[in-house]
Amino acid sequence: MKKLMRHRRYLAALALMLVSLGHAESPDTPAAPAIPGGSFESVLPPAPSVKNVRIQPFRLDRTPVTNEQFATFLRTHPQWRRDRVAKVFADEQYLSHWQAPLDPGQENLRRPVVHVSWFAATAYCEAQGARLPRWHEWEYVAAASDRQRDARNDPAWRQQILSWYSRSGRGPLPAVGGTTANAFGIQDLHGVIWEWVEDAGGMLVSSDNREQSSADVMRFCGEGALTMEQKENYATLMRIAMLSSMKARYTSATMGFRCASDVRTGS
Amino acid sequence: MNRLLPLLASSAALLLGACTNDAPIPASHAASLSDTGGSRKGDFGPPQGEPIKAVLTSPPNVPPATNRNYPAKVVVELEVTEVDMEIAEGVTYTFWTFGGTVPGSFIRVRQGDTVEFRLKNHPSSKMPHNIDLHGVTGPGGGAASSFTAPGHQTQFTFKALNQGLYVYHCATAPVGMHVANGMYGLILVEPPEGLPPVDHEFYVMQGDFYTVGKYREKGHQAFDMQKAIDENASYVLFNGSETALTGPRALKAKVNQSVRMFIGNGGPNLVSSFHVIGEIFDKVQYEGGTRFQENVQTTLIPAGGAVTVEFHTEVPGNYVLVDHSIFRAFNKGALAILEVSGEERQEIYSGKQLDEMYIGDKLASLAPVAEAAKASTTGTLTKAQQMQAGAVLFKGTCSTCHQDTGQGLPNVFPPLAKSDYLLSDKNRAIAVVLNGLSGPVTVNGAQYNSVMPPMSQLNDDEVANILTYALNSWGNSDGTVTADEVAKVRATTKRAEGAAH
Amino acid sequence: MKRLLFALLLLATVVRADTAGSIYQVAAALADQSGVLRRMDVYQGHPVLVTMFYGSCPMACPLLIDTLRATERAAPASERSQLRLLLISIDPERDTVANLKALGESRKLDPTRWTLARTDAASVRKIAAVLGIQYRKLPDGGYNHSSIVTLLDANGEIQYQSSVLGKADPELLTALDRITQPARAQRQVAEPSVR
Repeated sequence: MKKLMRHRRYLAALALMLVSLGHAESPDTPAAPAIPGGSFESVLPPAPSVKNVRIQPFRLDRTPVTNEQFATFLRTHPQWRRDRVAKVFADEQYLSHWQAPLDPGQENLRRPVVHVSWFAATAYCEAQGARLPRWHEWEYVAAASDRQRDARNDPAWRQQILSWYSRSGRGPLPAVGGTTANAFGIQDLHGVIWEWVEDAGGMLVSSDNREQSSADVMRFCGEGALTMEQKENYATLMRIAMLSSMKARYTSATMGFRCASDVRTGS
Repeated sequence: MNRLLPLLASSAALLLGACTNDAPIPASHAASLSDTGGSRKGDFGPPQGEPIKAVLTSPPNVPPATNRNYPAKVVVELEVTEVDMEIAEGVTYTFWTFGGTVPGSFIRVRQGDTVEFRLKNHPSSKMPHNIDLHGVTGPGGGAASSFTAPGHQTQFTFKALNQGLYVYHCATAPVGMHVANGMYGLILVEPPEGLPPVDHEFYVMQGDFYTVGKYREKGHQAFDMQKAIDENASYVLFNGSETALTGPRALKAKVNQSVRMFIGNGGPNLVSSFHVIGEIFDKVQYEGGTRFQENVQTTLIPAGGAVTVEFHTEVPGNYVLVDHSIFRAFNKGALAILEVSGEERQEIYSGKQLDEMYIGDKLASLAPVAEAAKASTTGTLTKAQQMQAGAVLFKGTCSTCHQDTGQGLPNVFPPLAKSDYLLSDKNRAIAVVLNGLSGPVTVNGAQYNSVMPPMSQLNDDEVANILTYALNSWGNSDGTVTADEVAKVRATTKRAEGAAH
Repeated sequence: MKRLLFALLLLATVVRADTAGSIYQVAAALADQSGVLRRMDVYQGHPVLVTMFYGSCPMACPLLIDTLRATERAAPASERSQLRLLLISIDPERDTVANLKALGESRKLDPTRWTLARTDAASVRKIAAVLGIQYRKLPDGGYNHSSIVTLLDANGEIQYQSSVLGKADPELLTALDRITQPARAQRQVAEPSVR
């Protein structure tokens, strides 16, 4: 009986969440610009025989979620406070850079929230009626420079992205929105933080990426591990390596997130 | 904790295929007497005694010998950090390191040891990292089992079945970049009997680096992916910095000491032609293996390979470690210094004994001499030709002592300019050139007591020309000397002992 | 003997401290093969072998079921009677309640001890995340996924994870033995007068 009650309460909470949807946005700089769909050649092809990924139209947050925004979320979802979070959902470093369980510290307010687990990021986006972007969506938007939607073959742009990786992660993070918006109107995809994606647990790349051979069908249903393409696309390869090193409860000083949502057809 | 291990190992379930070594193992060959037996004879049973925490050292230092005669469980804890350090004076670079240094900490175990390896990735790291130890028998050399997110640690265990000197490196995508940023080091698996004691052991590793800016361009330099792919190194360095092993940080030894160097090459791209200027390796365990070669000048170290070299110091001074692909040494930084101090050993190496004029292009500069010789045979020799030939010959033969000015050196070498000794007796002058002069002489009232060797390499023409030059230079004006006059004196004086003419 | 038991208990405590807590905290609504709504803790109080699969899988998933059965068979009777098995689909679109029921019947899985369940896509991701199972949908409608069998204790904490397929993993059996032993040990310690 008690179990049933708990269950009912859970469903009620879910219903509440669904009601409180929606992003406030101004027409000039929408908080979550609409991204047109398209066909895209991913570093992680969906299957060995399939080169292109079809991206459906979606919305993506213009900037990563800030500490301030995350603190606001915690006030209504206290089960995600660092002093209350279940260990199964976050490691010991979760929000460890904050001054107190609900206080990120003044200097952190405008900085992207980091030290968040995949579970916490997912919960945040769900609370906004949104979700984490999928890897292919993230990769599709992150391929854009300020001029081109797919700038991946531009050596100068590639080198510019790589420069972030040529700095150690010991300095403070910048505030969000500091980089130039790309051709999709999205900022901070490079040069600020790593970002969680919805299917972070589905990268299906070998922990030893040097293994290039095809599937071990005894381990995997289907076709086995994905082979990484575009071997010179270092910035993207590093993203995948980072995501595949992180378990869903792990947090890191440079791993944050932003949310995405589906675009309803006809709107 | 034990129970977590299979959990970690389960991530190996993601390792798909690959590296399948399906080649059948050949039927065992008749092993030669000196075979170590490799991995088949490298398992000395389960670890004994208390677990031992491995001593790790930063380069150029090497941990002490294990000094054990039993297999143990050795715990290695290695921390990965990403740090800004100087790659050259005024130039910084963000290195990714095993243990905070490039190369990473030196690991020393004994063959048969069970090594519990813990890899810790510092919370400030941006990147996930892992480690592939070439001394590991198992898929990936530990790479998949040690894949570690920032702010986390992993553990795996291996038995060191093969003795030898092995490179370890990071193998996280993009592998080349992780290696190019300095993620490599050495693990020594001692043979069960250990290594013979030496006075010094050093740890040096070569690596190539790729920066957006040119060699020595000041400021913070970013990794240049295209240069790395093109294998166009900006720097080739020992121990990760141009100043790692020079100046006050030079390696130091004394004369009459034995030196062992564990030299690795992290790459990522370049093969090293490792050489120590002024030394000869008495012994080289090439490729880090068991066999050795003796009396070696330069040894190749492949990228991802290592070598142990041994030599003995005899003579004090600076010995320069180079990659003998020599532009790397002088234009990309592949230089390190071994300072050897102690007593000179002149019987082995004298130091500079001679530094004198040398007429390099003999054919060109000796043209007047040839011309004079030719004129002499045809009977058309002029005094001007004699003077020109004599000037060239004097420079090459006489000026070291008597000086270009003919002034000699006070109290040592007598002057020729306005020399009463020279000018008063032409035949005596010829005889002195032909036969030399020793014992006291008085020239212009001053006493000299030096030895002048016989100039027996000169022919009659040449002696005539030199003397004509001497008699008519520096204020002297006293006629000519002919080849006939020289020939007469040569005929009437006793030939100098050993003269080859 | 007593000391040994005590040591075993201590060991169990140490292990628990290392685990990340109960996965039953994932707030997912499962529908079992009879259409009954359940939560993750459907088998709370029992040791549970849990894994994820999809019904139309041609290769590894039938093998996964075989592996679970082999493990069940290999366990001593006292442990087998406590053990429960939970298979959660990663393919909610195709694995309807009816399909799950048909699968359970065709494989002769005892519905009192085996649960085949489906849930919504978001919950699939969370359950996979706590179990460390990777999966990705393929263009042809199938899935790539890692095949990991997880042993949960009575509280839903992960005690062992195995990627051995096709036969009972001896390490997994040892772990099962370990988490069912302390209960017996406690009984013995608590009731010394019975003997």
